Amino acid sequence: MSILISAESRIMVQGITGRRGHFHASQMLKSGSQIVGGTSPGKGGDWSHEGRLPIFDTVRDCVDATSADVSVIFVPPHSTADAILESIDCGVKTIISITGSIPLQDMMVVKSALKNSDSILVGPNSPGVLVPGIANAGIFPNDIAFQGNVGVVSRSGTLCYEIVDTLKREGIGVSTVVGIGDDPIIGIDYPTCLELFEADPHTDQIVLIGGPGGDSEIKAATYIMENVTKPVIAYVVGESLATSILRPFFSRSGSLSLDSLGKKTGALIDASVRVAGKLSDIPAIIKS
Amino acid sequence: MKLQEYQAKSILKKAGIPLPASTLATNAVQVKRIAAEIGYPVVLKAQTFEPGRGKAGGVRIIQTESEIENISNEIFKLVLNQHPVQFILVEKAFTFSKEYYLAIFSDLDAGTPVLRLSEAGGATYLEPDSFKNARVVDRPININLGLQDYQIRGLVTTLGIDPSLWKQLQLIAHKIYDVYRHYDATLVEINSLVVTQQNQLFALDTRISIDNQSLFRQESLSDSLDQSYFGWEERQALKYDVDYHSFPGEIGCMVNGLGLAYLTIDQLISLNTLPAAMIDIHGGATSTSISSSLEMLLLNPRVKAIIINIFGGMTRCDETADGLLQALDKGFPKKPIFIRLEGTNDDSGLDLLHKNENLSFFGTTEALVNAAVGWLREEEE
Repeated sequence: MSILISAESRIMVQGITGRRGHFHASQMLKSGSQIVGGTSPGKGGDWSHEGRLPIFDTVRDCVDATSADVSVIFVPPHSTADAILESIDCGVKTIISITGSIPLQDMMVVKSALKNSDSILVGPNSPGVLVPGIANAGIFPNDIAFQGNVGVVSRSGTLCYEIVDTLKREGIGVSTVVGIGDDPIIGIDYPTCLELFEADPHTDQIVLIGGPGGDSEIKAATYIMENVTKPVIAYVVGESLATSILRPFFSRSGSLSLDSLGKKTGALIDASVRVAGKLSDIPAIIKS
Repeated sequence: MKLQEYQAKSILKKAGIPLPASTLATNAVQVKRIAAEIGYPVVLKAQTFEPGRGKAGGVRIIQTESEIENISNEIFKLVLNQHPVQFILVEKAFTFSKEYYLAIFSDLDAGTPVLRLSEAGGATYLEPDSFKNARVVDRPININLGLQDYQIRGLVTTLGIDPSLWKQLQLIAHKIYDVYRHYDATLVEINSLVVTQQNQLFALDTRISIDNQSLFRQESLSDSLDQSYFGWEERQALKYDVDYHSFPGEIGCMVNGLGLAYLTIDQLISLNTLPAAMIDIHGGATSTSISSSLEMLLLNPRVKAIIINIFGGMTRCDETADGLLQALDKGFPKKPIFIRLEGTNDDSGLDLLHKNENLSFFGTTEALVNAAVGWLREEEE
């Protein structure tokens, strides 16, 4: 029915009393997601959201009391790695870091800890995971999508919104939307998401949205060629920069290499992926 | 963030890595005095972030005192990509028998630091063809265990480096790894690492880049960050925590998120139009940073029209509208603003904005960009 989260997921919020954590916990409640509580060190024992959500000092306390198995993280960047490590230590299955711009060496420590655990990290700098009508574990605007059979995976959060909004306008529903995050070092990658979508009986087609920086779309293309039988539709934003006079402006910024810029679309086409020339062309390709 | 050469060198010196004597100068008289202290021959190196320093004449070897003032003045007159040279590093010139490349860098895909040693040091490392033929060996480092001696031994034996140099190389590798960790670097590079006639290893040149996402806890570095190097917009952007890029076109853009920035630029390029500026306010921006971003676009004389493309998740559309109105109420030059505002709290955001006559509203990125470009074309005719 979905990947990474489901109707049974028990979602907690790390940083539930912060400005963003509090606001988006309300949004998630409005969407009908099963939020079970949250953490805010020093405020354990209090209640938030008109007494609907218990607050705990630690993830351990929260998990013990509520059996939370999904955590959505809103704490500031300097303590995000600590928050992720705390959730890994407590065996939280799916950890979603909305917070982005995490110090890179902190993320290296996190990646190393993930290898020795059963937890999956989505993000950092992720908009979350959305199963329309079931659960919004993140910051997706409510009512942005409806249930259907197209799985969506994207690095960029705003492009997640952009594509599901485009699909909704054309009457296409989605099974799960995963924003894997736009930070230089992230947890779950395209191949793992594709593997989960391939196994999900409620996903018939997969939309992959890529962008400049690094070569993860090329790795995705290789994975698709070897492992994915479901139709994949892709759009890679920013490919036009490869031949534009704007390119030098971008090569001086950002920490990811631009070596693969302009080559991603080709690699995906070689893997028999149907690549859209524009994001707005995707609905027509799905319907064809 | 790249550090200037002189900053990188002072960090390595502090870490105990052997480097040639060098001092920073701001005028030709200082250059001459420093050179006399260090002793000729010396190398004068223009301090700049811009590439092509050598080709532009920004690196010169000086043999005698007679020519030093003239050449210093030539270097101080250089303007590299609109940035005038303000500092010259005066450095002892060295003779050596062999050069290597040694670095610790971040492998972002794997999420680990990597130790790299290559027998192609110096300029050779930067030339793709000679690099291909040279032997380059990498060792990924487990960040929780740190760099281990056996990993360094693996590199030196693979490259067949003389055992008399192993101890020195081991020491330097550990020290640059410590620098990498301590300063939250993404790159600590010694190029080249040379063997002197006395069989000593010496770090001739170095580059250090710091992870921008860690600057908040690198106070010593962010203080030394040469802000005079930045224009007004870049300094504003740092202050309000937004990303600012300047481009050669005429349309100023404000978006929330890198993906949307690229999508907007793709659409502009497909219409043969370039942006003048791109401001990414990121997710969850406050009304103050939104107001300052619009201010930067309104005050930029190259910006003829403004595109605002917001699809709010964490960015709240009501807060966005509030920030935009703050800037619009300040009496800055009026420019046509093409806006798309969607997502979290968009109804209340649009309610706030609808009264403003400078704004026209659109539902999709495509319609938004098409309208702005259409207006610009009409204006040009």
